[in-house]
Amino acid sequence: MRSYFSRKLVTYGLTFFVAVTIDWAIPRLMPGNPIQGLIARMTLPPGASQAVTAYYEKVYGLNQPIWHQYLSFWTGLIHGNLGQSIYVVGSPVSSVIAQALPYTLGLLVPAILLGWYAGNKVGAMAARRKVLDNTVLPAGYLLTATPYMWLALLLAWVFGSVLRILPLAGGSTFGMPPSFSWPFIESLLQHWFLPFASLFLVGFGGWAIGMRNVIIYELEADYAHYLEALGAPQRLIRRYAFRNAMLPQITGLALAIGAVVAGALVTEIVFAYPGLGSLVFNAILNSDYFLLQGIFLFIIIGVLIANFVVDVVYVLVDPRTRIGMQGGRT
Amino acid sequence: MPALARRPAMSTRREVLYFAVRNRKLVIGLSVVLAFVVIAVVGPFLARYSPNTIGPDVRMAPSAAHWLGTTSFGEDVFSQFVYGLQNTFVVGLLGGGIAASAGMVVGFVSGYRGGWIDEILNMITNVFLVIPTFAVLLIIAAYLTVRGVVVEAVFIGLTSWPWAARAIRAQTFSLGGREFIGIARLSGLSSWRIIFTEIAPNMASYLFMTFILLFGGAILIAATLDFIGLGPTTGGSLGLMMNRAVLWSALQFGMWWWFIPPGVAIMGVVGGLYVMNVGLDEVFNPRLRAM
Amino acid sequence: MSIFKRRRGWAGVGAVAVAAVALLSTGGASAQQTPLAANYPRSQTLYTSGTQYGPPSNWNPMVTGNYATGTIGLLYETLFLYNPLNNQFTPWLAKSGSFTSSTVYTLTLRPGLAWSDGQPLTAADVVYTIDLGQYTAVPYHNIWTYLKSVTEVNTTTVSLAFKSTPNYQEWANFLYTYPILPKHIWQSRSLTDIITGTNPNPIGSGPYLYLAHDQTTMVWQRNPNWWGIKALNLKMAPKYIVDVANQSNNVALSLLLQDQLDLSNNFLPGIASLVGGIGGYPITTYYPKAPYMLSANTAWLVMNLKRTPLNDPVFRRALAFAMDIPAVVRSDYNYIVKGSNPTGMLPTWSQYVDQTLVKSLGFSYNPSKANQMLKSAGYKFGSNGMVETKSGKPINLSLIVPQGWSDWMAGIQILAQGAAKAGIQITPSFPAYNSLVAQRNSGNFDLVINNDQQISNTPWSYYQWMFGLPILKTQSYRNYGRYNNPTAWSLVQQLDRTPVTDTAGMKSAIAKLQQIQLSQMPVIPLWYNGMWAQYNTTTWSNWPSSSTYQTVPTLWRGYPNMGSVYMLAKIKPVKAG
Repeated sequence: MRSYFSRKLVTYGLTFFVAVTIDWAIPRLMPGNPIQGLIARMTLPPGASQAVTAYYEKVYGLNQPIWHQYLSFWTGLIHGNLGQSIYVVGSPVSSVIAQALPYTLGLLVPAILLGWYAGNKVGAMAARRKVLDNTVLPAGYLLTATPYMWLALLLAWVFGSVLRILPLAGGSTFGMPPSFSWPFIESLLQHWFLPFASLFLVGFGGWAIGMRNVIIYELEADYAHYLEALGAPQRLIRRYAFRNAMLPQITGLALAIGAVVAGALVTEIVFAYPGLGSLVFNAILNSDYFLLQGIFLFIIIGVLIANFVVDVVYVLVDPRTRIGMQGGRT
Repeated sequence: MPALARRPAMSTRREVLYFAVRNRKLVIGLSVVLAFVVIAVVGPFLARYSPNTIGPDVRMAPSAAHWLGTTSFGEDVFSQFVYGLQNTFVVGLLGGGIAASAGMVVGFVSGYRGGWIDEILNMITNVFLVIPTFAVLLIIAAYLTVRGVVVEAVFIGLTSWPWAARAIRAQTFSLGGREFIGIARLSGLSSWRIIFTEIAPNMASYLFMTFILLFGGAILIAATLDFIGLGPTTGGSLGLMMNRAVLWSALQFGMWWWFIPPGVAIMGVVGGLYVMNVGLDEVFNPRLRAM
Repeated sequence: MSIFKRRRGWAGVGAVAVAAVALLSTGGASAQQTPLAANYPRSQTLYTSGTQYGPPSNWNPMVTGNYATGTIGLLYETLFLYNPLNNQFTPWLAKSGSFTSSTVYTLTLRPGLAWSDGQPLTAADVVYTIDLGQYTAVPYHNIWTYLKSVTEVNTTTVSLAFKSTPNYQEWANFLYTYPILPKHIWQSRSLTDIITGTNPNPIGSGPYLYLAHDQTTMVWQRNPNWWGIKALNLKMAPKYIVDVANQSNNVALSLLLQDQLDLSNNFLPGIASLVGGIGGYPITTYYPKAPYMLSANTAWLVMNLKRTPLNDPVFRRALAFAMDIPAVVRSDYNYIVKGSNPTGMLPTWSQYVDQTLVKSLGFSYNPSKANQMLKSAGYKFGSNGMVETKSGKPINLSLIVPQGWSDWMAGIQILAQGAAKAGIQITPSFPAYNSLVAQRNSGNFDLVINNDQQISNTPWSYYQWMFGLPILKTQSYRNYGRYNNPTAWSLVQQLDRTPVTDTAGMKSAIAKLQQIQLSQMPVIPLWYNGMWAQYNTTTWSNWPSSSTYQTVPTLWRGYPNMGSVYMLAKIKPVKAG
């Protein structure tokens, strides 16, 4: 058990390092310079332009040699300093992210957990009942094959544009101050529902068919036939099958998190939802190295934590984990 | 993602074919995919306009002149649709193919050789599995000024191989312990020979299904990238159609014909591939045929 | 144990949801800024958008191009206002200002001006502000190339001495462009802070006070003690102005249609089909018919004159004839913009257009003529009918606009199709904005579209952008095509030194410049970008229009001081509340 976890930790550490380094390096290898873009928007006369550029390069530490920037990036990270944003001029990256993060988490966490829970539940039921199977299976395949943003577009069109019962854009009514009051929470929920629904539905479809298929495998496995031959009640066999089917679904959850995060990013863009997705998009457009690094860092940390939780749950559910993990199980 | 068959049975060719044509899932899935292939191939001959030519009729609902209506610029949606569909298949085949190849190389080597090579490859695979590759893809795409469909497919292929590698590694691992592999090893064949003449053929059906899943996955990733506006800068695509529909307020103006068809096509192709995959699974795996 | 104990599953999710709401309403929102104080009554609040594309984060007027909507105009004020629609300067903080000798400008402030913290606004503040320009990094540093000194005569009088003949045009531009800053607050700040700081909780002199901001909104509250209420007899109509930051035009359109925006200064594609009650929406614009909008700036095709064949004026003129501008106006903009005059002069500057020159040297879309011009100039054509260099090498010009600028992205595709009909191959591409800036500034491009120069008090601003010298290694501000013509540049400087009242003198200098411009064609004017302004008349009425009053209808940066601050006083609430 300990070696299993220490191995995992090394992987996580390495992943963290590699991912963060990639994220740090790519924008800097590419043409264009964020300060130049910032200055270009100011349309300053030549003399002022050069002088202001120098000021900003100093403020952002871009006048340092590249290796120095890399080192100070890690030092900053250790001290919890993510630097200043260029897109949101003058704001610390951490505060820009702090404003967007709750929206993204509020979408992602319920969508992932509820989608997984409901999908597995319905999938398991479908494996038992032929009638249900004939409806769940096609629906599940269609949902899981749907691009996130297209489902989002459909929902926005039907509920926001045709029926006009839910808002098309934003995280809450513009200009409404955040508070613990009912009008604000209501507005928050109204704006939350459609993006949540599109994430939830796509995930739901995938989990439902996944669960259904795995259970059918298990019911056809040797042990199930053996139990049947021994005269064990169907219920018992199904319970065993269900338990065994849970394992791949749990690892699947870890694998799927990255994809769901990607889905959330585009869904947010469709609904102009003020989360990390919209922020990533703008950070890229503005070559905001610092904001991009910061958001990426949060995504990496989030995905790593989620993976770690899944690993722990896996160990709790399946005591054979050590062998399973080292043998490599899909 | 749907689970893969873990024990592909060895069947004779004829037996497989017998079950294949009688498997409803396989037939339905394949028909849907083929239908879209036909549209992509024949469509350009039917399209009366070139996809990006602006015309005088703007924002027209579907009609005899424009089967799928027109965009805000008077472009013919049907023409854009068929060319976009072509590119969708290109991205899927190429991206899925690259990912499957990379997955196979890593999976085979890792699963067959074992030892420290396996340790290292496995570590790399795990790192790639956890990195939110889509975010990396976003950053890369954003900084490439000129992007074609091929470049996009290559990047998608290079970032979506890890789970396939992991699955193939596990399969290879279990096959590697079988007797006939041991015999091949004793006869002094090189590792690559053994992989390609003994191991790969024995899991051909499995590899094919992996490729189909990667195919569908690549299409979805490409559509997502295109939708954000980071897709091909040259040539159209289904995701780009949706992107432009949103930018030009198709939702607000009720121009459903602009954004519904590309989504239906993606859903149809990818869904068809997935259903086909389950059908194949049942065909190759006799135990599942009962259902 | 079972994973599926119903109660636990749902309770867990519920807890997450509650936590998320809690984060939003407390931690997340209050991370940096003041939480928005209270709800704003709809009938007293003006909702605007179209200036701010990212979260408001900066109230420093020195950070031009990034400060929050209204920082200049609502909060900080300029000495004069300039209305480009009737070419009038209006004294604002200044009571009057004039040249009292050939090199001395005397400025008198209104009495009783005050900062919102109660301190008086005096000549000392004006001197301090102008003196700041001596630092190179200050945006108006240029005035010190011709200014000699600035002196406080008494609390309301400032005297400015010029080195020689004043640069009248530039100086007039300065007077309404840059605001006066409070010396008592700014003098203790470091230079870095002045140049790059965010200036939170700003103290200004204007009709509105900073109230609050969050990620998507900037809220201004009417200043009850504003000096202008008495001195100008002006009362701002909305008690609150909520400026909504948004990234996408389609979102702005939704909000406008749902009465969540009163004034949208966004580019809204297809808006022409909704104006004037069509579809039941109460949406109006400045003109009831095409082009619906005023013109704000000229979109130019900038060519890299260091590259073959763009270094050949004949080729450039042929290219001008190959620009299918009518198609862009029709299909890309649905007639909400106008094609440009061949000189590129905005409609408000039509008096400066030399009509005889335009008749002889003007151009319009004519692909066969363009093709003919190239043939007779000795250009070869390939088997595909596309033009090649005189030595027979294929020509493929790349035309770039920034990624995400959707109207331009569509526009250049239309232009490329039109040019192909003339046998000129143009390949559109869309680099990210910063990468485009890098290519443009370093001269590493073929063709790029640019509209940096906005409407202003003088065509001089266009000509200095077109002909500015010297050419540096990095051209960060003007003359991106690197056109080197000292004669033209000295004409531009001569224009600069012509008094703003000497219209005849301006015209004569401009005619000479237009002669060079049209025959050499260093840049090609394409169309006038609109001064996008869509009003929803449900809550507020009496908007600027061709039939009401002539005021620029936008809060874009630089426009409140071109008169749109008057709009805020003239609009009327539909329901008194």
